Amino acid sequence: MEKKGRRAKKCVIACRKKCKANGTGLSHYVLSDKK
Amino acid sequence: MVNYFNTGDGCQVLPIDIGHKEYIGLISPDTAFWALVKKSQLSRALTDSSLLRKYRDKQKAFCDEMNTLRFRLKPSAVYFNPTDLCNLNCAYCYIPEHLRKKGKHMHIRKLFKALAILKVYFTSTLPNGQKPQVIFHGAEPLLNRKAVFSAIDKFRRDFRFGVQTNATLLDAEAIEFLTSRGISIGLSLDGHTPEIADRLRRAWNNKGVFQKVIEALNRLRGYDNYSVICTVTKENMASQVKMIEFLHRMKVPTCMLNPVRCTLSGGRKHKPLDADAAKYYFKALDRAHQLYQKTGRKLVVANFANVLIAIIAPLARRLMCDISPCGGGRCFFAVSSNGDLFPCSEFIGIKKFKGGNIFRDNISDALETVQFKSVTQRRIENIEPCCRCAVRHFCGSPCPAEASEMNGSIETRGAFCELYAKQVRYALHLIADGKENAYLWDNWDKNTFTTFKMNEL
Repeated sequence: MEKKGRRAKKCVIACRKKCKANGTGLSHYVLSDKK
Repeated sequence: MVNYFNTGDGCQVLPIDIGHKEYIGLISPDTAFWALVKKSQLSRALTDSSLLRKYRDKQKAFCDEMNTLRFRLKPSAVYFNPTDLCNLNCAYCYIPEHLRKKGKHMHIRKLFKALAILKVYFTSTLPNGQKPQVIFHGAEPLLNRKAVFSAIDKFRRDFRFGVQTNATLLDAEAIEFLTSRGISIGLSLDGHTPEIADRLRRAWNNKGVFQKVIEALNRLRGYDNYSVICTVTKENMASQVKMIEFLHRMKVPTCMLNPVRCTLSGGRKHKPLDADAAKYYFKALDRAHQLYQKTGRKLVVANFANVLIAIIAPLARRLMCDISPCGGGRCFFAVSSNGDLFPCSEFIGIKKFKGGNIFRDNISDALETVQFKSVTQRRIENIEPCCRCAVRHFCGSPCPAEASEMNGSIETRGAFCELYAKQVRYALHLIADGKENAYLWDNWDKNTFTTFKMNEL
């Protein structure tokens, strides 16, 4: 669970993560597992 | 090197109001780079800080990421309709009524043949070890249950299977079959009471099916590989909070609160106003968060989680509707019950988007047809007003089928522009408050690595 309280007041919040792209879901269906 | 922005070769950085007391958003739309900056520091952030310098160092890499996501993926999933028929007549269905009422099943021999063709195709296109997905979809796939279950057993080693169903035929035997094989199950339910759920989802005899779906949900309790889709219309939008409470109580692990697709007139008739839908949707998301705080158990709202992921890790997104081009015809494609190939199941029933037939044509050739290309080359840069929108790569202006049928051209925006823009603001607001992980699947980022992180100017 997230920590209680708000994020410490930072001047800037910027974050980006990367991985292999393999999304295949659409609004009619989402794969629940991610094997 | 100078760090001027918005002129010449300088990076483009657009400010957006995220409705936060302390933070304002900065977005570079083409790369989907974003930063939340304290309002009191905005001027410094844009003129005399390391923010734009660091971004400039990464700009090319981020641009490349977006190009990979948008233009270099190969299909790895198929939405497969093993029958035209449905035992329900939902008012907003995107499959034409005459097909659902008088269509045909795909014969079991044909189904096996189609899967054998898909197996050969994916063996030649996907890396060794990557299993493609086949999702049996509808209409109602379990009306052709014997063929579907036989196919799952015959091709289990070749595909990861999923089933999207209205749940009316998910009896104990069917659930035992699917859960014992780890099949991903999606089912549909539009409300927490029969009065709401049955308003638009009814059998041909006009009877509601709420109770049947609840029986299936009870049988699925404890299984972690299923989700519930709630289609949001003006008939049920006000009950989204109650729906979240209900699904959480039922221990559903994942749901979607999807605004109704307006591809056919039935959907358009029940379209909620964006502002109204957004108001109730955000209350529902807030409630999901409260319930997590109170119980420690998450109910992930997948369509919203996907927007958060699209912001934090663009390549990690799971749903491919809200990126342009969408996933239709390039991340997945659809096979209808007679073997016709479409970019996405949303197009089944719109003949002009048929790109071939799995039994007669080469799949690779179908992907190159003008019908598929019209979808796979639908770029948000060519759509007004999306081409000027800061959040265009967190939205994608879905859906091309909807735009084509609703607005007369695939290169127009989808039905819920205002809702999507509000959703991105809401997501960035949560990130400013450090709450994002409460809305995401546990360990969603276990295969990711951080390429940009900054908290000081």
